[in-house]
Amino acid sequence: MSPALLYTGSGIILFSIGLHALLVHRHLLRKILAANIMGSGVFMVFIAMGVHGDSGVADPVPQAMVLTGIVVSLCFTAVAIVLAVRLNKLTGCTTLAVDEESSID
Amino acid sequence: MTELIVQQQWFLWMTLLPLGAAVAAFLAPRQAHWIGLVTALLLPLCALAAIAAATLSETQTITAGNWPTPLGIALRSDGLALVMLAVTALVGFIISCYALGYFPVRGHHQSRARYFWPLWLFLWGGCNALFISGDLFNLYVTLELVTLASVALIALEGGKAALAAALRYLFISLLGSLAYLLGVGILYGTYATVDIILLGDMLAATRLNHAAMSLMIAGLVLKSALFPLHFWLPQAHTMAPAPVSAVLSALVVKCAYVILLRLWFEVFPALDTIAIGHLLGLLGSIAIIWGSLMALRQERLKLLIAYSTVAQIGYLFLVFPLAHTETMASAWIGGVLLMMAHACGKAAMFMVAGTIHHTAGSDRISRLAGAGGPIGVLVVVFTLAAGTIIGLPPSGGFFAKWLFINAALVSGQWWYLPIILSGTLLAAAYIARVLGWAFLDVKRSSYPVIPWMMKWPPLVLSIIALLFGLIAYEPVQLALSGAPVSSPVLVEFGP
Amino acid sequence: MELALIFDLILLITLIALAWLLLASSDIFRAVVLFIAFGLLLALAWVRLGAPDVALAEAAIGAGITGALLLVGLGRLGSAEHYRGTRTRLTFLQRLSAPVLIGVMIPSISLILLLELSLHASATPGQQGLVNVLLDVSGTNHGVTAVLMNFRAWDTLLEKGVLLLALISIWSLDQARPLFRQNDISPQLTGLARLLLPIMIIVAGFVLWQGDHAPGGAFQSGAILSAGILLAILVGYTLPTRRQGLSLRLLLAVGFSVFLLVAAATLLSSDYLLKYPDSLAGSLILLLELVATASIAALLAAAVVGGHPPDDLSKPVDRSSAVNGGQT
Repeated sequence: MSPALLYTGSGIILFSIGLHALLVHRHLLRKILAANIMGSGVFMVFIAMGVHGDSGVADPVPQAMVLTGIVVSLCFTAVAIVLAVRLNKLTGCTTLAVDEESSID
Repeated sequence: MTELIVQQQWFLWMTLLPLGAAVAAFLAPRQAHWIGLVTALLLPLCALAAIAAATLSETQTITAGNWPTPLGIALRSDGLALVMLAVTALVGFIISCYALGYFPVRGHHQSRARYFWPLWLFLWGGCNALFISGDLFNLYVTLELVTLASVALIALEGGKAALAAALRYLFISLLGSLAYLLGVGILYGTYATVDIILLGDMLAATRLNHAAMSLMIAGLVLKSALFPLHFWLPQAHTMAPAPVSAVLSALVVKCAYVILLRLWFEVFPALDTIAIGHLLGLLGSIAIIWGSLMALRQERLKLLIAYSTVAQIGYLFLVFPLAHTETMASAWIGGVLLMMAHACGKAAMFMVAGTIHHTAGSDRISRLAGAGGPIGVLVVVFTLAAGTIIGLPPSGGFFAKWLFINAALVSGQWWYLPIILSGTLLAAAYIARVLGWAFLDVKRSSYPVIPWMMKWPPLVLSIIALLFGLIAYEPVQLALSGAPVSSPVLVEFGP
Repeated sequence: MELALIFDLILLITLIALAWLLLASSDIFRAVVLFIAFGLLLALAWVRLGAPDVALAEAAIGAGITGALLLVGLGRLGSAEHYRGTRTRLTFLQRLSAPVLIGVMIPSISLILLLELSLHASATPGQQGLVNVLLDVSGTNHGVTAVLMNFRAWDTLLEKGVLLLALISIWSLDQARPLFRQNDISPQLTGLARLLLPIMIIVAGFVLWQGDHAPGGAFQSGAILSAGILLAILVGYTLPTRRQGLSLRLLLAVGFSVFLLVAAATLLSSDYLLKYPDSLAGSLILLLELVATASIAALLAAAVVGGHPPDDLSKPVDRSSAVNGGQT
């Protein structure tokens, strides 16, 4: 069992936990947290699979990709939060449970 | 003169130009609509120049910074990229004209207008960057650019339903793109490259690669709203302002689908994809029937059009089971043609629906009753645009379905035939239902004035969509240049 | 068993437990706080994996700015108001998620096993060698910076676009409201801010300069600067009204625009997108990093504030359209 493999596996577990929470939870902030954790899992797979041998230094290319990915997920988080706040101001809800029929009009 | 055209990398200018215009529109909100219009005028010209340059010169792939490919990002102007750039330029130009009428420069929608232009130009630039990208990670970044712009555009309406639809779309897209990204990570970890061409050469049929493929395809299927994962689409596409609905249905859904095409035919051909192909075909078939039935049941015009998009996406996914060795080219080109035809037709339909909403005060189909006068004209335009969705003969939709039926018969998968035909009949039925209401003999009291920018652009686009089949030869030849498929395109039934 | 491996195991188990706990906790405020802790621990994991650049970014952006965003958002949502009532009937999708989870967990476990096999079978050397060979001509001395600003600069350009786009989206959604009530600023906090702000600026400058040859760079530096800006806002500083128009927008957009201009210039002069001339590569990267830092700091701080400036030219118009939007 090499450390890289351990981290890769953990990344996939984090991804699964986040995925589960994203689907199950209805509170919007909780969904945002879940998506962030999913992202962290993906990034961990990226970095851990880029570690080769025992040099202990990760490949710079996936590192750069993860840096880009972190910024992109930050952008989505920021927009999601503002959307959630705005929705909360209009409906008083912290969930997506908008009544489908009435919402159309 | 030829030197000038060949030497410039026009397809790259097509990504830089809208992005730059987006920044300019953000900096100068009062001039945003002019900036948008000028960009929309320039991009079709750039597209023509890019096509001319591609036919004159041989090189189709360059890398950003001229770094060698495992390191640099490949940018390609192959057939698929060029036709998508061209269709986006055409549809985008007409949508921009329409938006000029839809978001008046003065009046109480001013703040929406000032944010519409930078967002829409960002989306346009993102789409163009996506079509030319030959690098899996770069595709992720461009896809996120397109998604974020779409989310903001959906929310532009500002009502709670629009906000909820935008937020739902955001979560769904995040889910899809993270699954895709996980697959990319696994591929990079195994092969130390994310270049599509290099990966296509190196990939072996290991179980790990199959896992990565499943993740990536699942993520993209979610983003392109195939049947059981289509639940977010109708709300998102109907809650948006009309030009945005047109953009979403015509272009944004195609982005994820283009990546799927690239993956399927260029990255994963070495893998065992028959079972997944049949699964996608099955889901596509259900989408055709289910989407059409739902469209038939809708009370509102925009929802009807949105469900029709669900059905059309089903057709797009028939490409995957139909692409066997000898029918590869037919299926592939059918898919590309359908994308182009659907982009034109659906954009026109959503724009007309927006104009009808503006005129009749509602987009309830029952409110169209007795819509003589101005709405009558609009309904006729709507029908013209729907011709390609139904698949009436001279339209692009007709030829795409013809190619699909051919591929189905040649590859011995006759069961797709009744599905394609019944989808066509159902489409004709839901369009006829709209017409049935519109031609009821009821007198109406008053009609508001429609800005001409909201009337003529959809008409132009719907005529192009209807007659697309007559000029389809050039786009097909263009798309086949540098295509990942090599078998002849079958246009006649035969063994 | 080695000590390092035991440390890794404990770290990973803590991370996973933390993720599970924070997602399952019934108090959303606690979840957010745990999430920030999760981000800091994750930074530790990046260090263990030999990725200090990512660690810095995770601590500054992943835990810091995201945490600030979440806390501000939570404050605006009204914290504990809803959670009891949400245990309503599960939708079809939510009921489906249990099988999905099983469908994901089982493949992931098999994936781990497969990975083991594949790591033994083909240990690809990665692109580290290639990056090191080309580092001399890249205009910078640090591998990750070279990849970000030169080898894969097209990605970075687009990602700067995503950042600006996110801000435009936020501005299109809402009008900025004060983060906190102005009257409860304690003098201690002001004193602390006076002390901290210069330090933060120096640290940000150092991190940026560091990026040329060691972990660090525009993102990390920009995130630290934006924390400084937020601190200043916290103690009551507001941007003068005359600066909230074009000058603010210019500051926000300068990073992306300069990148675009460089891309256009290289395309015109050399036919290759973002191919820097050899002699200019170093200074171009420095220029790009500088403007990027300024923009990132402003963008992140503006994203936390969360809305377009109130003195917008269309303020009265804006309100009526919001009302209108609510009705349609």
